Amino acid sequence: MLSCGHKQTGLRYLWLALFSVVLGMALSVSMRLQMAHGGGAASNRYTVLLLLHGSLMVFFVLTSAPQFGFGYFFLPLQIGANEMALPLLSGLSFWLTLAALLGIAGSSLLPLRLGMEVWLAGVICFCFAAILSAVNFCTTVTDQRTSGMTLTRLPLTVWAWYVTAVLSLLIFGILLAACALLVSDWFFGTQFFASGQVHSDAALAALWQRWFWFFAQAEVYAAMLPCFGIVSHVIATFARRPVFAERAVVLALCGVGVVGFCVWGLHMFSSAMNPYSPLVFAQLAGSLGIPASVLLASWILTLWGSEVRLTTAMLFAVGFISLFLTGGLSGLFLASRDVAVAAASNDFVTGHFHLVMGVAATFAILGALFFWFPKLFGRPMNETLGKTHFWITFAGVYCTFMPMHWLGLLDRTRGGVPAISAGSAARTFITTAAMVTIAAQAIFLVNFFSSLWRKAPCASRNPWHATTLEWFLPSPVPADDFGNSKPCIYRSAYMYGARFAGLDFLPQHVSPQQLAKLH
Amino acid sequence: MSGTVLDDIELIIEDVHGNHGGKPPSRDGDDGGGDDGGRDGNAPEPRRPGSRKYSTAVAVAMLSIVMFFMVLTAAFLVLRTENLHTWAGIRLPRILWLNTCLLMASSATLEVARRRLNMDDSRGFHRMWAITTVLGMLFVVGQVIAWRQLAAQGFYETSRMASGFFYVFTVLHAVHLLGGLCALLYVGWHNLDASRIGRPMAVEVASYYWHFMDGLWLFLLALLYFGQ
Repeated sequence: MLSCGHKQTGLRYLWLALFSVVLGMALSVSMRLQMAHGGGAASNRYTVLLLLHGSLMVFFVLTSAPQFGFGYFFLPLQIGANEMALPLLSGLSFWLTLAALLGIAGSSLLPLRLGMEVWLAGVICFCFAAILSAVNFCTTVTDQRTSGMTLTRLPLTVWAWYVTAVLSLLIFGILLAACALLVSDWFFGTQFFASGQVHSDAALAALWQRWFWFFAQAEVYAAMLPCFGIVSHVIATFARRPVFAERAVVLALCGVGVVGFCVWGLHMFSSAMNPYSPLVFAQLAGSLGIPASVLLASWILTLWGSEVRLTTAMLFAVGFISLFLTGGLSGLFLASRDVAVAAASNDFVTGHFHLVMGVAATFAILGALFFWFPKLFGRPMNETLGKTHFWITFAGVYCTFMPMHWLGLLDRTRGGVPAISAGSAARTFITTAAMVTIAAQAIFLVNFFSSLWRKAPCASRNPWHATTLEWFLPSPVPADDFGNSKPCIYRSAYMYGARFAGLDFLPQHVSPQQLAKLH
Repeated sequence: MSGTVLDDIELIIEDVHGNHGGKPPSRDGDDGGGDDGGRDGNAPEPRRPGSRKYSTAVAVAMLSIVMFFMVLTAAFLVLRTENLHTWAGIRLPRILWLNTCLLMASSATLEVARRRLNMDDSRGFHRMWAITTVLGMLFVVGQVIAWRQLAAQGFYETSRMASGFFYVFTVLHAVHLLGGLCALLYVGWHNLDASRIGRPMAVEVASYYWHFMDGLWLFLLALLYFGQ
């Protein structure tokens, strides 16, 4: 239980994410039902459910699964290391995250003031966990790479985890400092945030909401970056082609990190303090379009004319591109302050946010799970069930979140008064689509657990014919990973399409001498 | 695909271990172990393979600490500017200057200790290391006295924003410094012969952090002094 090994830590994070996503979806069902039965979005109960749903999904699913879950498990394997640089920090990070989950989930059951204090304690625990993990990831990539694993040969997944770690290091330091000031206000009577009015319920609720969004603003980038890396990796593997403009993709990942950090910093300190800051914020938010366009172009041009293998993992990766593109377009409206004020209401923002971050990131996580499941558990997942799950989910999320954009625009044109009442056909359609989508996740759970308990192991170590190191270890991966003899790396991670001895891929670790022998 | 050829190549490519002939490409000057022992020509004990990760980890952690204090600094400057006319400054306790001298002296003795270690003078190293630790402890005690002096002047936490920032800056710095003191105690009195890090690297890492705390204190002191 107390093992600090990277594989155990990664798996624990994935189990934590699975638990959180099931709980989070149950909360969203509860919210939609409450709205459908006339409970309204303004009730206290709805607000508590909304906060808990958002906190669980953002912290413990979207942030934890792609970065900590897959990152802890596969980062050392992909760079040829036997362990993270600082295993103690891996274990500590997970237990702090678990404490954060208990605190944040438990806070909803407590009275308001106590609940906020426990929620803040949970956030602080999560900050510490994220910083410890970030230190561990940065150190591992910097110092633990095996011989020949130059920066240009790093898989894009590793690059994404690396950039995310650097970003987390900065933004969670910022948030921790802000939390320190808040703790000082609450417990030691200073007045950094509120001038003596902090004890009123309204002020507390405002602070609660404000802090959640400060957190979420940074989390968007920390959650999306690993997804970008995963999607690039999966697409190249199943398109059987090298990543188009791989170095530009690396620069784009770094660009997202830099811009994401600047947006966060501005949002944190400048908004409402400086009249020009919204303008700068809008420019920066808009400039995210440049690295995002590079990534999109790379994905599309990698796919262009390729012999795509439409596995479930690939379907989820392509689904991610579709959702990212759709959500990104509505994001352009929100990045422009004037348009956002004029056109967007809660429904518009909810639709945009869920498409581009919530669902798109979940698609990347599911794609990664289908891709790496054989290596994680030594058994493949059922492809037929996987594809059925994908198509229902893909159609369901569009049916749920696209009408929200329309509702948002319609509400605004009627002067802010909700034009479509709770029982209207549009809202009923959204609720029905959400229910069907959530019900379809039962297919995933059946597939997941039946695959887990399946007796037949994987026929091959490398079922996808991938090039990176983890695929050449037995499935499941042995306790000591590579053992005493570390692999050497000779080429980039995406050498696909080069027909060689009947294969269309060149593994990173096969030496030119070995290749010559095979010739 | 030909089954036989595929079998052959799978046998080869599935052997992920080790170097299969030929010199592997260099890793941009890093051999994977991170051992660059011998930097100090007369070092009695070379750095252990893989120990470089500790200095990297501390450098990375320091980046996060810098961000942490930069945010507090930004909050200080923003609130100071916003309350330009109502800002009621405080008089810094005089003992802070003595504390600063103690911390500066501890950094100097730490460097002397490092040199003694490089000269294989174990006794001299332990003596100077102990002096550094005691100076660090005296600094923390001095900070506690400073907090009490400020409270005695009537500037308790709640009274003014300036005193609030004074307590936040100094307490959080002291908390970080206590981490450094723990490192000094660990390196000075724990037997590191059997550990992975080894004494030379442990000393180097602890000294990086201690000097960083030193520089951070100078910055905070200047901020508190000129910000009043």
